[in-house]
Amino acid sequence: MLKLFERNTLNVADITDETTAIDVRNLNLWFGNKHVLNDISMRIPKNKITALIGQSGCGKSTLVNCFNRLNDLYDGCKYEGEINIGGRNINSKKVNVSRLRTQVGMVFQRPNPFPMSIYDNVCYGLRLQGIKTRRHLDDAVESALKEAALWDEVKDRLFESANALSGGQQQRLVIARALALKPDILLLDEPTSALDPLTTLFIEELMAELKKRCTIVIVTHNMQQASRVSDYTAFFHQGRLVEYADSDSLFTMPEKKQTEDYITGRYG
Amino acid sequence: MRQVALNTHISGTFNIELENLRNSVLTMGGEVEQQLLDTLKALKLNHPGLAEKVVLNDLKINSMEIQIDEECIRIIAKRHPTASDLRLIMTISKAITDIERMGDEIERIAKLVTRNKLPSSDTIKSSMLLIGERVAAMMRGTFDAFARQDESAALAVYKQDNRIDSEYKRLLTYTTTEMEKTTEDMQDWLDVLWAMRSLERIGDRCKNVCEYVVYLTRGTDVRHTPLENIHQKLEDLS
Repeated sequence: MLKLFERNTLNVADITDETTAIDVRNLNLWFGNKHVLNDISMRIPKNKITALIGQSGCGKSTLVNCFNRLNDLYDGCKYEGEINIGGRNINSKKVNVSRLRTQVGMVFQRPNPFPMSIYDNVCYGLRLQGIKTRRHLDDAVESALKEAALWDEVKDRLFESANALSGGQQQRLVIARALALKPDILLLDEPTSALDPLTTLFIEELMAELKKRCTIVIVTHNMQQASRVSDYTAFFHQGRLVEYADSDSLFTMPEKKQTEDYITGRYG
Repeated sequence: MRQVALNTHISGTFNIELENLRNSVLTMGGEVEQQLLDTLKALKLNHPGLAEKVVLNDLKINSMEIQIDEECIRIIAKRHPTASDLRLIMTISKAITDIERMGDEIERIAKLVTRNKLPSSDTIKSSMLLIGERVAAMMRGTFDAFARQDESAALAVYKQDNRIDSEYKRLLTYTTTEMEKTTEDMQDWLDVLWAMRSLERIGDRCKNVCEYVVYLTRGTDVRHTPLENIHQKLEDLS
């Protein structure tokens, strides 16, 4: 029979060891006495966009923060279980957290450029790594800004303050800053919630390009955004992973009633 | 006339999805048009083998309807189309139902040929072929108007159905007169009447698709509206 639409049908069950970027196994996390993540197990695939959705306080941001050990910064945080990235458990005490954070980049809700020039923002991480050669830095800045689709807009004013950029440009600058370190994984925590709808679409289109070179995990409150951009979606509720599936299935025929109620706005 | 620009979204993937969806409708339309031409040829040459091929091929058209419908649902769920994009998806979702039914009507005529239940009178057969050619031209015009999102072309095609309807009525009167002269093979006569009716119905289905094209470009629903009122409605909008 003639196939009219060529589409790769995705399925969580088809994610193998080789195609897994982040392998979460029985992860539990507490802030003090509060059990915030409850026995989470999931495999996040390489070079795909995985969206984490759920109500505020469901644990999705906390989970993303686990992927580059940001929760270590909070007092009273303890966790157990494994998160394997690149074949090693990043929850191990032996892990070099600084190196982990270059491998796993993070972009937050509000654009947070450093109070310095565009150029210095992008090569901030590289300088911390000890790279000082001007030519090397120039190349890295140009390449990262091109990848973040910002180069054409800022190439003539690289040494002007990053604060003069618009919100959307600042967010792309922050993405470029993360990309300059050539991360394998990019974590985006509500990256467009402070941006206007058109700029949001530009960032989403950028994500579609970036997934060719790195794995993307996005936390979003915007279900439409999750359905537009993601290949896979995980729905969380009260610290538990309720449903994890390819986005086509989850947004057309979710398996769990709780997911259906959430994505259709019937949540009581 | 406002055309739906399919390739101007920020999201390149969305552009591709809409373009593929539109092309898939044209592919389906092309298949149905070929089915009609094959059926008319089979009827003209009394070629049951060709008619058999048409009957089998209808499964392909059914499958296309399901695939396109699934893609429409997927795009609505994932892209939340609005304005012209939403009209395009709704137009496609409705049009493919009519196109699939055109396929069913054609299959019904082809089945007659496979069973050798052909009109015994040459006059009836040649009149059916003439109506069939007009219907084929109308179908071609319909898909062309959809492809170009051309409401004027759609309304011009829409008008052609009047001629098909009157020719069908004339043929029906002639055929019933012939039927009265004989008392034999009444079932065969009924089969021929159904085939004639199917041809006429394909014209109606084309008319429906033309109405959807007007909805697509102008955003106004002109179903169940007399032609003169359609023009008035469109003038009021401009």
